[in-house]
Amino acid sequence: MMRFIIRRVLVSLAVLLGISLVVFLMLHLISDSPGRAALGQQATQVAVDAFNREHGYDRPVLVQYVDYLVQLLHGDLGRSYKLNENVATLLLQNAPRSAVLSFAGLALALVVAVPLGILQAVRRGRLVDRAATSISYLLYATPSFLVGLVLIGAFSQTIPLFPAEASQSSSPWVVFTEPRSMALPLITLAITNVVVFSQYQRSAALEQLGMDYIKVARAKGAPERIVLTRHLMRNAITPIITLVGVLIPTLLAGNLIVEAVFNYPGLGLLFLNSLHREDYPVLLAYTLIGGALTVAGNLVADLVVARADRRIELGA
Amino acid sequence: MLTIRDLSVEISRGERTVRPVTGVDLVLHRGETLGIVGETGSGKSMTGLAVMGMLPGGGVVTSGSIDFDGTELVGLGAAEYRAIRGNDISMVFQDSMTSLNPTRSIGDQVAEPLRLHRGASKRAAAQRAEEMLALVGIPRPSERMGDFPHQLSGGMRQRVMIAMALICEPRILIADEPTTALDVTIQAEILELLGDLKQRLGMAMILVTHDMGVVARHADRVGVMYGGRLVETAATADLFRHTRHQYTQALLSSIPSLVQDKALELFSIPGSPPDPAEPQVGCRFAARCAAATDQCRTQLPLAVEGPGEGHLYSCWNPAGETAPTNEQRRFPQAAQASGAARLQVVGLHKEHPVSAKGLFGRRRSVKAVAGVSFEVRAGEAFGLVGESGCGKSSLGRMLVALDRPTSGDVLLDGIRVSGVSARRLGSRRARLQMMFQDSQASLDPKMRIDDILREPLVIQGVGTAAERTDMARDMLSSVGLGASIMERYPHELSGGQRQRVGLARALALDPDVLVADEPVSALDVSIRSQVLNLMRTIQLERGLSSVVISHDLAVVRYLVDRVGVMYLGVLVEVGVTDDVYDKPAHPYTAGLLAAVPTADPGFAEPAGGRVRGELPSPLDPPSGCRFRTRCPLATELCARVEPGLEAVGDGHTVACHHPLQPKSDEAPAQEVR
Repeated sequence: MMRFIIRRVLVSLAVLLGISLVVFLMLHLISDSPGRAALGQQATQVAVDAFNREHGYDRPVLVQYVDYLVQLLHGDLGRSYKLNENVATLLLQNAPRSAVLSFAGLALALVVAVPLGILQAVRRGRLVDRAATSISYLLYATPSFLVGLVLIGAFSQTIPLFPAEASQSSSPWVVFTEPRSMALPLITLAITNVVVFSQYQRSAALEQLGMDYIKVARAKGAPERIVLTRHLMRNAITPIITLVGVLIPTLLAGNLIVEAVFNYPGLGLLFLNSLHREDYPVLLAYTLIGGALTVAGNLVADLVVARADRRIELGA
Repeated sequence: MLTIRDLSVEISRGERTVRPVTGVDLVLHRGETLGIVGETGSGKSMTGLAVMGMLPGGGVVTSGSIDFDGTELVGLGAAEYRAIRGNDISMVFQDSMTSLNPTRSIGDQVAEPLRLHRGASKRAAAQRAEEMLALVGIPRPSERMGDFPHQLSGGMRQRVMIAMALICEPRILIADEPTTALDVTIQAEILELLGDLKQRLGMAMILVTHDMGVVARHADRVGVMYGGRLVETAATADLFRHTRHQYTQALLSSIPSLVQDKALELFSIPGSPPDPAEPQVGCRFAARCAAATDQCRTQLPLAVEGPGEGHLYSCWNPAGETAPTNEQRRFPQAAQASGAARLQVVGLHKEHPVSAKGLFGRRRSVKAVAGVSFEVRAGEAFGLVGESGCGKSSLGRMLVALDRPTSGDVLLDGIRVSGVSARRLGSRRARLQMMFQDSQASLDPKMRIDDILREPLVIQGVGTAAERTDMARDMLSSVGLGASIMERYPHELSGGQRQRVGLARALALDPDVLVADEPVSALDVSIRSQVLNLMRTIQLERGLSSVVISHDLAVVRYLVDRVGVMYLGVLVEVGVTDDVYDKPAHPYTAGLLAAVPTADPGFAEPAGGRVRGELPSPLDPPSGCRFRTRCPLATELCARVEPGLEAVGDGHTVACHHPLQPKSDEAPAQEVR
């Protein structure tokens, strides 16, 4: 187990190193010069050159990259010249709000999707199953910004139940403190995931329902409720755990759209605004965090699956 | 105790309706074991499930009654049925791997029925579960309670299943193929355990199986099912001595035994079992029956009282006392296998690495094959027998160059074929072919039969497209299949047909050596004998050298001239088939032979002792003789020195310090200088 974790962490670090290099080079290619980006189009070439020299942007790209890595190791993610703020500080301000929204959305999605998927499997081919599958496909094909806009149109404008804009409070816990204002972003975020999770859950449960141990549980005289909760659930949920791990970066991307639609000040909105402002240090840091989350999500999912299903040995 | 009257079951899936059980009458008395025998689709399992009230989706009992001690089970309410299930009537299923919940501890699973039915506390149930595990022969049960199913061997898992079924001390146990997935040595132990527990707990048992040998030894009465109907039922001895129904008799005659005359072709039933979706007219067996008349085809035979008490059979033209011999023919005497070795195996080893335990653990490896040498002459059939996990399949794959040995060589006509790159192997590859166990999995489901047969020809660049099609047609006819199936896909064929296609594919390139790994294990008895006869015929006609790998000693005996017995990666005995079977020299061989259930209730178990216990881990084989941990004759010498193969007769060698046959005085036969 320890051996597995250590190996995976080492591999993950290598992956992150690769991501940082690729992103660093890409940003370097698309921006003409950091000085120009920082000082704006009105600045003189002399001033731009001076800025670049002062901050070491006139040195070879690889040297700059190594420099960046060294900074990273010291926890320094660089500086946003546009906002005149430390990137780390910016991220720290916004990350908790995004994380809480993401995980609340994820939890909501799982709470709905797991029972729904199992219900569909048990009632396979019946009306419930067919209806749920059809709706799932429809929603799966709908981009989440559209889902958000439709929800706003329906429940904010036509029937004014919820506000159209998310809470602007700086507290990360607005999901719980101001549920009314966060309802629509949360639902938008959850819908996309419910659709994916429930279909996975359905097929996983179908596969497990065909297993003999389900038959054995019934042969023991166990009522259907116990067959499903005690026997089916744990076996059928492992594919979902893996899926959630893999989807964590997608959650982040989902946030980006939801935060933009509902104007919720989180990491996603920060990224979007930085994109408009060509604020490269922020973009670089955001991408790196995405990479780190992907790697960590996969690792955690593997560990949880191995815990849930003892047959899995964490090998090399 | 249990009376089933005129039971019929229908299952509808969409448009299709099948009738797996029609008009079955059965009685189970207190304390008795009733065997229900039949092939796939005969309705034997469905009858068991109907008693449990657990028919698959879309299944209903359409008529009849199931009376359990005065309670009518047909139409019983869900809650009442649940109170009986697992409490008064329990069931053990075939596959212990999928029958146990992989994510819950075995202690928990065994205790569950007690908690459900008796409302026992967690602690009381766990305590009782532990007692049950001890009762079914699980060593140190208190340490095993927290184990998960995958940590146990197949035999141990089946014991857990039995403990689980018996914890509420049911009055009836339905065992559905309880030992089919197990090795013969373990099978014998499990069946004895079931018999013993039945006595102790005073319950009655329904033993559902396809194996005539199992019912002959372990059932008091037997019901034979065919095509959803009970065709014959009688006390076990009566059924085997005075067989009346034509099907029962044909089935019994088509089982290869350990004593029959090998020169005589095995009796086989033509055709395949009926489709349960087809409407039923007359006797269901009429289409395959040699004695069928017009009456059989049009009129349903009624149950007739037979010679013995309680012997009932439904046949218009009951069989006589003698076994059918009409279609059997005598095999020509095999041409004396020529002296030169076609296939030589020299000191073959195969190790599979497994991941080390802990951060600094030593890397370990499973020694699947640990030094095997033998040779097969041109035109000779060689058999490899042994329990699962003994390395026989790993060995088979290396013989046809599908796997590389860790060390050692495989030589074809003196030229190395092992460890050679595919490119350098070239056309020699074509001379080594393999026939697989699972024809469903070994034929590409997206390829038509003609493409499957032509593919090897295309790869080796044989003939033009038109010639290849002709060759494919010839191949099919040589395995007894018509050209009409050429445009079909594998899933459209029956199991027997697919296995014939598998054989035809292996023969397409006219190989010198054919390795058949469990060629008939997946087939039903009546189909099995057809394929066995075909393999015998082709072997003789083509002068093939073949290696037959099987856990079924009777199958190997029927097919091969010489046999090697494998145990934990090594050959422990090699010799001419008759010598090895008649005069086994290794205690393991004797034990294997003793464990084979024979389809003859009067058959006395040969002396020499049973093989007890389980196969040790190939990760860490015992020192000295690998068999010593299970051997009744083991001494201190066996733990110290690993015995080599020594002669006990002409061409008969054994690796044992205390062989059951006297060793020849001459120098060791296979000493390598």
